[in-house]
Amino acid sequence: MIDLAQNTLDGLFLGSSYALLALGFTLIFGVLRRVNLSYGPAIMLGCYAATWAHLSFGAGLLALAAIAVLCTTLAGAYVERLCFAPHRQSSAIAAMVASFALWMQLEELATLALPRHIYDFPPLYAGAPLDFWGLSLRVESLVMLGAAIAVCALLWWILYRARFGIAVRAVIDQPNAAQLAGISVPRTFMLTFAMASAIGGLAGFLIAASHEQVTPMLGMWSTLKGLLAMMLGGLGSLPGAVAGGLALGLLEAHSQWFLGPQARDLIAYALLFLLLAARVPWMTTRSAS
Amino acid sequence: MSLLGVQDVVTAYGKIEALKGVSLEVAPGSITCLLGPNGAGKTTLMMTIAGILKPKRGRIVFDGADIAGRAPHAIVGRGVALVPENRLVFPGMSVLENLLAGAYQRGDKKTVAEDLERMFGRFPRLKERAAQLAGTLSGGEQQMLAVARALMSRPKLLLMDEPSLGLAPLVVEEIFRIVADLHKDGATIFLVEQNAHMALKVAHHFYLIEQGRISFSGTPGALAEDEVIRRAYLGSSKA
Repeated sequence: MIDLAQNTLDGLFLGSSYALLALGFTLIFGVLRRVNLSYGPAIMLGCYAATWAHLSFGAGLLALAAIAVLCTTLAGAYVERLCFAPHRQSSAIAAMVASFALWMQLEELATLALPRHIYDFPPLYAGAPLDFWGLSLRVESLVMLGAAIAVCALLWWILYRARFGIAVRAVIDQPNAAQLAGISVPRTFMLTFAMASAIGGLAGFLIAASHEQVTPMLGMWSTLKGLLAMMLGGLGSLPGAVAGGLALGLLEAHSQWFLGPQARDLIAYALLFLLLAARVPWMTTRSAS
Repeated sequence: MSLLGVQDVVTAYGKIEALKGVSLEVAPGSITCLLGPNGAGKTTLMMTIAGILKPKRGRIVFDGADIAGRAPHAIVGRGVALVPENRLVFPGMSVLENLLAGAYQRGDKKTVAEDLERMFGRFPRLKERAAQLAGTLSGGEQQMLAVARALMSRPKLLLMDEPSLGLAPLVVEEIFRIVADLHKDGATIFLVEQNAHMALKVAHHFYLIEQGRISFSGTPGALAEDEVIRRAYLGSSKA
């Protein structure tokens, strides 16, 4: 019983990191209707830049977070300019393939700068896990959950209360009419992309700091987990992204416990396959925001 | 001096030219109406003036400056607003948010709030439904919202692409009453219509477009006199 509770708790915390990744992914998909495969590699580049700053100057955690967010945002803006701005009206496939090319480029750049297979990343919190009635609770996990909630709240505020949110939602709803209303669609695309990348950068920093390491796998891992969580939650829906992330975390935690570590990823993909094959309604509607 | 001058504009979809050298003028303070059959290039012309489509050739002079090929939001900024065909309201946003989107480029919150009140005064139905999602409005209400949204940018020229399309006769009359009201308040309107009977009641100048070319230009009187046009657009009986 205590194991079940512990697994659920672990799953939720793991899921909140997936939810963060999926939020950025979904924001891009919701507005541009394009899949950005370079999302993860941009995050990896941001985290590598932070790792480099840590190794070179021993920069503190807050500075590292700022560097990760900033560099991921810049890498994201670069991807947007190269892959998505030129393919606005034309093929969605072309943009996706182009973003795959930049995946390679960003990953190479990071691994050329820091070629070792693994680098230490400073921990978010060095102390022992907290203990609640036999349940162990990592402080990093709490921070991750808090960040996911804070990002959700901020996104909600931007989309539904701020002036920029009107532009974003108008572009999602009716791109031509948005232009006719005087909203610059290219500018909205770029700002949304930057915002999504910043969220990804924050997610990457928190993930690196709670794993206490970065590896060249971080890019692919982020893209896969983000994509999986986004699809589980229904493409393009922000609440869905959070739900999908949490569901993925819970699923992984429980299947790891009951079926062993090998089954962990298998179960998630099997579920995605089943949901796609069964055409569950929330995954086939193209609702947004 | 005309407010809008379209000069020899060619717009193509790939290799097919939808506009084959269109020239026309819209005088300030007038209601100008563009008639024409389906597929003649009416909507293409509106989209080209608004900047959604880029012309291959020609000039579009608005208020003394060539706006041909500029970005749509820049054209809105210069004072041209299009009420698009099929209205294209933002269905997932509230009526109020639709109106605010129309005023997106305007920084001054106070004058935007004043204009909101003016719109709600002009369109009381929109005020009743301010918090409702635009997608749940009736066709006529959506048309009013589309007009109000365009007006929120404070345009010097209002383009309207078939505002009567798919609406019940009573609603069409209401839309044309609004057009006449806007004109009375000093607006310049360039209107695309298939409903020539209604357009004859309000417009000052008519153009007819056929297969991408302007084939007639004249006053309502001249339009009603023209035997061919009368047969095609007004029915055979004398109006």
